[in-house]
Parts: sequence; structure tokens; C-alpha cells
Amino acid sequence: MKRVLLAAAVLAVGATTVVAQQEVAIQQQNLMKAQARSMYGVLGKMVKGDTPFDKAAADGALKALADDVAKIPTVFATNPKEGVKDATFGASQKIWQNKADFDAKVPAVTKAIGDAKVTDAASLKVAFDAVQAKCDSCHDTYRVKLK
Amino acid sequence: MLKRVLIGLMAIAAVGFGVFWWLTIPAHVAAVAMPAYQANVANGQTMFNAGGCSSCHAVPDQPDRLKLGGGLAIPSPFGTFYAPNVSPDPNDGIGRWSEADFVTAVAKGTSPSGAHYYPAFPYTSYQRAKIEDVRDLFAYLKTLPAVQGRARDHDMPFPFNIRRALGIWKLLFLDGKPFTPDPSQSASWNRGAYLVNGFGHCAECHSPRNFLGGIIAAQRFAGGPNPEGEGWVPNITQKGSLAEWSVKDIAYFLKTGELPEGDKASGSMGRVIRNTSQLSPQDQHAMAEYLKSLPPVEGPPRPKRKIEQDGK
Repeated sequence: MKRVLLAAAVLAVGATTVVAQQEVAIQQQNLMKAQARSMYGVLGKMVKGDTPFDKAAADGALKALADDVAKIPTVFATNPKEGVKDATFGASQKIWQNKADFDAKVPAVTKAIGDAKVTDAASLKVAFDAVQAKCDSCHDTYRVKLK
Repeated sequence: MLKRVLIGLMAIAAVGFGVFWWLTIPAHVAAVAMPAYQANVANGQTMFNAGGCSSCHAVPDQPDRLKLGGGLAIPSPFGTFYAPNVSPDPNDGIGRWSEADFVTAVAKGTSPSGAHYYPAFPYTSYQRAKIEDVRDLFAYLKTLPAVQGRARDHDMPFPFNIRRALGIWKLLFLDGKPFTPDPSQSASWNRGAYLVNGFGHCAECHSPRNFLGGIIAAQRFAGGPNPEGEGWVPNITQKGSLAEWSVKDIAYFLKTGELPEGDKASGSMGRVIRNTSQLSPQDQHAMAEYLKSLPPVEGPPRPKRKIEQDGK
């Protein structure tokens, strides 16, 4: 009887760890997706000309983006050791092999967002490209395509 | 008796070795076989951008994509390759190469000293290129800055370090056929097919490979595990997510790296985009038109996602 209980307890702990890992991965993915919505859902559409330039919306998106970027080092503190189920992109294990280098790439993104002087569509394009270049410099190493 | 057997075995071994040697003779293009030609440097630049030469040959971790000093590590299941210096430096690059040397390297995968190149250098695609385009590319490369320094040697364990054996690999996977246009398709589609299958060498990463490292022809463009390590290379036939992309979406992606679903390519594809973004809108559209026409092909099954600790 004791053995059965013990086995059940071990299984339960195992299951919670799996859920917790998946939860960490989902939290990380949600943070990156929120940034993608600011970047491409709002700013990118204006740059592409799909939506007209709107200064208030652009400023709002840049603010939201800066807030989310600041959360990256903490939200990525834990290694979930797995990707989100059926995700297209995931976090590379290299993040946790070089966490200091990963974290050190964040201030450059924040700076590029802070330096953005957006007054019209043309200046938005300049800012967009500058911010995107900083996103790339981290994604090139630490992001993995999964399908 | 024993002596006879030994002599017999030695004779068989010698004949076997001779056949191997004969089968693996590296192919050459002789200078005399090439007619006089006035190179078009601007077209050479287009081929450079379509070919993404700088994706592998640019000095890593620095911003100038025209500094072709090499050194990038390219991991594979067979060992790690290091991209060589192809800048015009006379000692460390290709500064002393003749035009015939260059055409031989690109179209036949044979070095000026007569050794086989590993197919990490995608001559299986480059062999489709028009010889004029290869000559133009050579003329363009000559205009780029010379970079000193040699990349380190490839890190290939036995038996993959026997370059001569690549002659057999070439017999299996290098057919030597030039690109043949499809007259039933538009000029733009044919231009796209030429760029994608020739210098663009898209299929080299976007196809699964067999245990010998050859592309599985039936699943060309259907994606597969990333040979460089973590992750997956997407299926770019109409079976994958490109089924939902328009020709315009694909062309915009080749120009900016942005995906229609609000995202951006990174990693190796990010480096590819830094080259395709330099192509003319017509060429980007042509490539998109061809890719959109690829029939749907099921790619290899994806293993259940598990983190592989690569022990680094």
C-alpha cells in the first residue's frame, strides 16, 4: 500500500513539473508574442502602409514594447527545457548556457526604442528598422525555428 | 600456395583501388573550353546576392557582408565545416585564381589543386547556373575588398576526411545538368526557378537528406531537421505554411524577412534575407512566383519535441 502511495506521489510530482515547465514556456512565448503584436500588429502595419500613420498608436506601441522588453531577463530566468506544444518558434537552449550574454543584449533593444523619434511615417520606418536590427541580433543566436 | 593467394588478393586490391581512383577523378573545366567573354559586373552582383555567398563566407560577428574572409563554423552530422576565405586576397583568398579555376570550383566542386570540395559548398545547386553568370560573379568578387587570414581547416572525423571519396558522392548526387527552362511557364516563373534552384540553392537547407548527406529528391523543398543543430527547417512547398501565403507575401518576405503573420525570420534565414533583400523587385517576385507553384509535398515526420542537450 505504502509503495502504491509513494508511486502515486512521485507520479503527481512528475506531472506538476511537466505542467510547470509548459507554463514557463507559455509565459515566455506570451511575452514575445506581445512584443510581436506591438512591433508587427501596430508599427509594422504602418510601415508597410497597410494602416495609416497614427502618432498616438505608434507611441503607445513603442511604450508597450519597451515595457515588455524590460521583462525579458526575468521571464526567461527559468529554463523550461521544452517548447510550447505545436509552436512555430522556441527558445534555444543556448539562452541558459550563456544567460549573461543573453541578458546583456536587452539594454541595446531598450536604447533603440528610447532613441525613436517618431513624428511621421518616414521617421517611424527609420525607428522600426533600428529596433528590428536589435531584435535580430538576439534572435539570430537565441531563437529556434521549430516547424 | 599462400604466396599465390596473397598475390591474387593484392592484384584484386590494386584493381579495386584503380577503379576507385578512376571513378573519383575530380572534374575540371579547362580555360580553353570557355569562349572569350566580357564580364558583366552588375549581373555578377545580382548572382552574388541571389547566391547568398556572404551568408557563409562573410567574416562572422561583424557588420560588413562584403568582407569575405570566411571562418564561419557550419556544423553538420558529418563534422564541422569552416567557410573559407573567398575574398580577392592573393595569399589567403582567391586572388590568384584563374577564371577557369573559379568556374571549376563553382560548377564542378573541384579546387584549383584538383581536390573535391565538400558539398557544404552547394555546387549541387550551382551546377545549374549559366557559365556566363558564374564568370560575372567572379568579376564581381574581384571588386570586393581583400581580407587577410585563412579560416581553420574543416573538422571532419574519419572516414569523412577522405576527400577523394567525395568523387563517389558526386557520382550519386551531382548530375552535371544545366538548368532547362519550362517553355509552358512564363519568363518570370522560369527566372524564379533558375534563381531558386541555381545560385539561390534554397533546396540545400529546405530538403531532408539521406544517410549519405544527399538530398532526398522526392521530398525536395519539404523541409527537415536543421542539420546545423536545434530546430527545424520549414517545408516551403504548398504543404507547409506557404500554402497560406500569396506570391506577394513571399516576395515581401524575401525583401524584408517579415512573415505575413506578424513575425520575422532570424538565424540562418535572417542571413539569407540580408542577401535576397538586395535583389530587384522583379527577381524577388520571380522567385516567389516559382515557390508558390511548388506542388504540396509531405515532409519528413517531426520527432516529438524533446530538448536535446548538445553537451556544450
